[in-house]
Amino acid sequence: MNHAGELISAYLDGELARHEIDQLQAHLATCGKCAAELEEMQSVRSAVRSLPLLELPSGLIPEADAEVVPLRRNKGFWVGAAAAAVALVIAIAAVLTPSTPSVALEELNSRYGARASLDPAFGPAKVVVPDLGDILE
Amino acid sequence: MESVPLTWEEVARVYGRKIYNFAYRLTGNSDDAADLVQEVLLRVRKGLAAYQPGSFEGWLWRITRNAFLDEVRKRNRRPTAPLPNEVDRWELASSPSADVEYSRISIGDDVQKALLELPYEFREAVVLCDIVGLSYEEIARAVAVPVGTVRSRIHRGRKLLRESLT
Repeated sequence: MNHAGELISAYLDGELARHEIDQLQAHLATCGKCAAELEEMQSVRSAVRSLPLLELPSGLIPEADAEVVPLRRNKGFWVGAAAAAVALVIAIAAVLTPSTPSVALEELNSRYGARASLDPAFGPAKVVVPDLGDILE
Repeated sequence: MESVPLTWEEVARVYGRKIYNFAYRLTGNSDDAADLVQEVLLRVRKGLAAYQPGSFEGWLWRITRNAFLDEVRKRNRRPTAPLPNEVDRWELASSPSADVEYSRISIGDDVQKALLELPYEFREAVVLCDIVGLSYEEIARAVAVPVGTVRSRIHRGRKLLRESLT
């Protein structure tokens, strides 16, 4: 057997078949270079595997029903979406809102003046004059 | 047959943290990792309806990998994007959240730095194996290369890591 090479990593990862393990172990018993490489690979593998498993940032994944709470995209997406929504609302409002009708003063008078005569709520405003004594106290 | 999560929420709950760690170890950037998790979950949500029973892990990590590479390509097309124009040179972010995150993992500083120096294919293979915990077969399915290539990439990646760390 030549030097074990990548079989060493596969061995450490449990990715070799039984007969390959036997061959490799026999080779390692007689090859100092491969035995040293095995130790080094083991050390590197442990170092990577010992990196802490990071927690997900809070709020990254909504807990509630996906239909109600959509996934949050990045900020750029929402800024763009909000701007587009505002522009759309303004455009729709501009199309659908009728221009302010010009109503003659006489017509207003006839509409609301008649109602004012029947509905007390439309009666003349009461002017309340505060007691001067209350103010000065 | 492998059981398949039924909803994307279950996928998020079971795999969200793994996807985040995969992305973080590839990029060294917590914001990019968070964006990737969201992008992957969106794709999972769209794709679950059409999912054919098979290797769910292979399917999920293929989506994750494609989302990651798409993001890299997208940034490379954006002249103002902070990332450089090569897949294997993601910068460490300087945002406060990344600083906080980075200080939390300072114990693994050297290893993380060495990972970021690896060529992308080697880094990806090492991360999928040692961080995510996939078998060579699963990595091969996710990355769409033969198992022998996975074995070679992992070993060469570890050898480069050893050189960086000594």
